[in-house]
Amino acid sequence: MPSGALPPKKASPYVANVNRNKARQMSPRSVVLGALGVIGTLWMLFRLFGSSSTPKSAPKSVPGMGGSAYAKTVIVTVLDEKADADGPIADFVKQNRIDYAKKHGYATFFPSANNYTIKHGSSSWAKVPALRHAMTLFPEATYFFNLDPHTLIMNPTLSIETHILAKQRLESLMVTDVPIVPPDSVIKTFAGLKGDRVDFVITQDREGLSEKSFIIRNGDWAHFFLDAWFDPLYRTYNFQRAERHALEHIVQWHGTILAKLALVPQNIMNSYHEKQATAANDNGIYKPGDFIVNFGDCNQKAKGRNCENEMRPYYARSVQADL
Amino acid sequence: MSLSRSPSPQRGGGWSSPGLTTPVDGTSRRPSPVRYAASPSNVSWKSASSKSDAKSFSTYSPRGQKFQTHMRKISANIPFWNSSKDYADKEGRGRRPDDWQKRVPAHIGRMVWKLRAPFAIILAAVALFFIIAYPLLHTWRRTAFLGGGSKYVIMLATNLGGGVMEWKGPREWAIERDSVKNKKAYAKRWGYELEMVDMSTKKRYAHEWRESWEKVDTIRNTMRKYPNAEWFWWLDLHTFIMEPTYSLQSHIFNDIQKKVYRDINVYNPLNISHPPTDEFLDPISRSAIGDGKADSINLLVPQDCGGFNLGSFLIRRSAWTDRLLDIWWDPVGYEQKHMEWEHKEQDALEWMYTNQPWVRSHFAFLPQRSINSFPPGACNDKGPNTKIHYDSADRDFLVNMAGCEWGRDCWGEMFEYRKLSESLNRNALKRFWDWVKGTPPHKSKLVKS
Repeated sequence: MPSGALPPKKASPYVANVNRNKARQMSPRSVVLGALGVIGTLWMLFRLFGSSSTPKSAPKSVPGMGGSAYAKTVIVTVLDEKADADGPIADFVKQNRIDYAKKHGYATFFPSANNYTIKHGSSSWAKVPALRHAMTLFPEATYFFNLDPHTLIMNPTLSIETHILAKQRLESLMVTDVPIVPPDSVIKTFAGLKGDRVDFVITQDREGLSEKSFIIRNGDWAHFFLDAWFDPLYRTYNFQRAERHALEHIVQWHGTILAKLALVPQNIMNSYHEKQATAANDNGIYKPGDFIVNFGDCNQKAKGRNCENEMRPYYARSVQADL
Repeated sequence: MSLSRSPSPQRGGGWSSPGLTTPVDGTSRRPSPVRYAASPSNVSWKSASSKSDAKSFSTYSPRGQKFQTHMRKISANIPFWNSSKDYADKEGRGRRPDDWQKRVPAHIGRMVWKLRAPFAIILAAVALFFIIAYPLLHTWRRTAFLGGGSKYVIMLATNLGGGVMEWKGPREWAIERDSVKNKKAYAKRWGYELEMVDMSTKKRYAHEWRESWEKVDTIRNTMRKYPNAEWFWWLDLHTFIMEPTYSLQSHIFNDIQKKVYRDINVYNPLNISHPPTDEFLDPISRSAIGDGKADSINLLVPQDCGGFNLGSFLIRRSAWTDRLLDIWWDPVGYEQKHMEWEHKEQDALEWMYTNQPWVRSHFAFLPQRSINSFPPGACNDKGPNTKIHYDSADRDFLVNMAGCEWGRDCWGEMFEYRKLSESLNRNALKRFWDWVKGTPPHKSKLVKS
């Protein structure tokens, strides 16, 4: 102890003087200690400050985020919550995902389509920047499951990992050597793709790839894929079915995308409601026990359809299945 | 050579050492029984050692060890010039000129003859050094874990618009010859690979759209051809390496962070807004410099007055590069933009950089004059620019005679720059000779003084 090293204080007229001497003796040491203290404090402050600005830190919260920021899987559903769009179904569609996510420790993200300004092309493109956004908000997550609002999770007991993504499972599910766009596209899905090299899992209906339900793995490839898909040139091209045809286009023209794509049977994650039956692949029509039901174009009132009426009974069934 | 004891001084001057044949009068110093001591003054080490060898009880026995034997021979020879004389004569040697004059040449002759073996060995070693030095240096520079030259591939576009379809005149041949020679010498010097890209073999695609977009396919094929190379340096035909003494490593890669800029705002002729501000993008995509690390750089592009310039650029093998090369040409983009995209790949790359954030985070720019200096004739709308135009005082690395085929004299420029480069890189002897002759240094018509 520094004080122990000092001579004992004496009551003398020179006390003040001694104290001054003491102060002079102490000063180099205290200066050094003080400097070290200041440097240490600054260092800790900088560390705290620095770590809070790195991407690894807890992401900031935005509306629509749910579940742990460190969840491994995130379910993304882009909603257009206007009354004439997804307004009536928004609540139970969200609840359907939230209940499922809770069961398996997943996170959910329900951005509004209006959040993303799509200068060219329809608002249906919003799912692409929304997925990019989800990857920004959940940088620690591995899988991002894009589900269209017009779909419901009907079998909440199935986890995405064991039902679809586990290496062995995915390899057994993969549909290889079939045309990307049926029936006669010259580009066919790869055979011999390893389950752990897959970054993109999607299904196909009778007409082609279905963008309403797919899983994408976080990483550089995902950024590349989403950015390429979202290129303004595709949005201005007037593809008949916007992002869906753009997706088919880039999958067929660019090998680095096709090489990461695994096609799984439709009923694994995208069974069609019976009113969509004409578009469904063989075995693509919903039957009880299937993971997902997809109501497709239920928002087309001109065709006499109504999403709320069609979906609500199924939502009730999914809640029962969960009990 | 390990002596069994240290050399010990002798009473009559000199010293006794097993390696020397100085007549030994040191019986008292011998560690072993001295059988040969019957006539000590006549005994040489040779006989002594052979005797001791025969008896094999001496502690010092150099026989059977080649090196020692050899060394002993050399040292044994040294005192021979004096061997015919008595020990006492030592003091008198060299004092009699007639004797000296006779003895020295004879002695030198004898020395040379006796030392012929070592001389031959030294001579052979020197010769060998000169024979293998260059290949050795070359191997060193090439080897991946030493100089690393084989990690770099130079791709040179040849046969521009020539070959089968079009007639190539003598000037075009001369340009090509000079350009190729220049790159060949450079690649050889530093142990790089050189891949000549024949631009006349245009690929026939299923449709006609893609014509003259070979750059992308060629880079992919070259990457396949050199599976161990890392960086690929594309060079247009109308380029000339002015400073072949700069290696790519020392010029750029050893200190890449200081030689490039990641943030396009440093020089932004296209006014691309950077960094992207979309909230949905990840922090790295929204950063002006990507992750800021050297190993995230996969493409090094210089910019001229009008934007990216692909006349001389470097691209690195990576997953990112595979994706870029794959997405670079797309029929939907081409269909909409082929009228507008006058510079084809270059415009498409600018488009991707502008519109696809994933591209930016692995991009880096080279200051134009570090790898792609222009002659005064190119980009000269606003007059000479120190960021763009070649300056011999700064010993710029490379000149790209961009656009010389439109209204300028490609061959004239190529010739001038070749002469200038030769003049700038004269060796000391040539410089001296030029100084003696009073030859003025090369003055180029193209280079402002």
